[in-house]
Amino acid sequence: MAENALRIDELAKVFGGLAAVDGVSLTVPAGERRVLIGPNGAGKTTLFHCITGTLRPTRGSVKLFGRDVTRLAEYRRTALGMGRTFQITNVFPDLTLGENLALAIVGTDRRKWVLHRPMQAYEGVRNQALESLERVGLAGRADQPAKLVSYGERRQLELALALNTRPRVLFLDEPCAGLSPAERQRISQMIAGLPRDITLLMIEHDMDVALGLADRVTVLHQGRVILEGSPDEVRANAQVRDVYFGHA
Amino acid sequence: MEKARIALLLVALAAALALPFTAGPFWTGLVTQMYIFGLLALSVDLLLGHAGLFSLTHASFFAVSAYTVAILHVRYDVPTALAAPAGILAGTLLALVFGLAVRTRGVYFILITIAFGYVVWGVAHRWSSFTGGDNGVTNVPFPAIGAAAITSHTQYYYLVLAAIIVCGLGYRVFMRSPFGLGLRGIKASESRMQSLGFRTSAHLYAAFVLSGALASFAGVLYVYYNKFVNPVAASFPVSVEAALMAIVGGTGTIIGPFLGAAVVLGLRNWVSSFFEMHASIMGAVFIATVLWAPQGLVGIAGRIRARWRKARRG
Repeated sequence: MAENALRIDELAKVFGGLAAVDGVSLTVPAGERRVLIGPNGAGKTTLFHCITGTLRPTRGSVKLFGRDVTRLAEYRRTALGMGRTFQITNVFPDLTLGENLALAIVGTDRRKWVLHRPMQAYEGVRNQALESLERVGLAGRADQPAKLVSYGERRQLELALALNTRPRVLFLDEPCAGLSPAERQRISQMIAGLPRDITLLMIEHDMDVALGLADRVTVLHQGRVILEGSPDEVRANAQVRDVYFGHA
Repeated sequence: MEKARIALLLVALAAALALPFTAGPFWTGLVTQMYIFGLLALSVDLLLGHAGLFSLTHASFFAVSAYTVAILHVRYDVPTALAAPAGILAGTLLALVFGLAVRTRGVYFILITIAFGYVVWGVAHRWSSFTGGDNGVTNVPFPAIGAAAITSHTQYYYLVLAAIIVCGLGYRVFMRSPFGLGLRGIKASESRMQSLGFRTSAHLYAAFVLSGALASFAGVLYVYYNKFVNPVAASFPVSVEAALMAIVGGTGTIIGPFLGAAVVLGLRNWVSSFFEMHASIMGAVFIATVLWAPQGLVGIAGRIRARWRKARRG
């Protein structure tokens, strides 16, 4: 039986008079890799923000493994197993890569409140940070400030940050945005190589990346779901072609 | 730590220890003040330099603590061993309330802390039956715990020196702790910290209370030095100056706030001896710092060192 990792009912977010998300219902079984696609302004990022707690939805509900999290603060959702990356790179520029990861590692446990011991004294944290950097292709960079590494490397760091909160469901908001084709391939390989027990919900503009990684695809347009199906079904659908690629 | 820096600190320590013997009581007194206000500036910088919160209410904790100590000593004859901790406690309790300011950010945080500061100043100023009004509370004795009693300003100088060294060392541990790193994370990106599982408002609240406790400790040191406390200690300019000391010296460091205190107090003492409008000179120094040396004296020192190294290599 497939437990639902995520269940969203009739979620809406209204800004002024504009319904950015307009009654979206979505169910993602545990372990699935779901990709959200849709043209600019379809409401993908707003939907993400409502699910992860950055924004409060106007109505509707969000359930994580059966538990209603609609009103929970973002840090609580992280503790319950939501991890996320941001569309606009959101790392700590003045901190080193090692310190960036150390924060991600202690963020979900009580060690973040410790005052009397230097972070460096936690060997376990240091080792986990080094290991994690190596896994995302940033080996040997632990002592560099994040502001001095390239944009592509910051995207890799962004992914490593999300992975170190021990997510059960991982939300990736355009992980490949602004990357060169080579970097894009590297990130998508990294995502493909994630353990299968992490449920994935991902926004992606690059159709090759999106359809290559997805088990299933949800198409959003003007704040509503217009189609849900396998990558092949989506690729073949005329309506998707119409809204997504424009009129041919 | 590098050898050069350790050597520099040792020289500074030796100079600090030798000061009462080589300079007169005037200088000893002035430097004691620099230590005390440096500590107050350090408490402000805990929020400013690490968490990115600009508080303008730290004179409140400083003054409430000083008043508590003074009133307990003078009116109730309470010994130091109780009065001093009571002072820190009173200031910290106030910080527990004023910490609500962390629900706001940016300019709103600044405005609300200014308002808090005026409340405390107003109480000190107008509730004369309790606070002594403009005259404040006078005749505070030197601290004494059992047989160990301070009897001179020179002895008190050494006590304050020991206190700031202990605070500086503790602060250093705090800066490097997971909690301290968390504050720097919040300063850089609060949204990212939340998504990493940090309850950032609670983190900032805890930092605010800690910072208030440190300011309260500075208030205790102040009242035993000054021998009296009046509403000036709670006034807005004290909060502003503490923040500016941190900025002039260099935020986000330990030595910076103390350097800033030395510059501000030293300059004021010197300039006021021959120029009536000394406050305007202070203003000019602050403006110049913000415009040309936002990293303060510590930043300037760093730049000079970087240039040196480059010159030696090139």
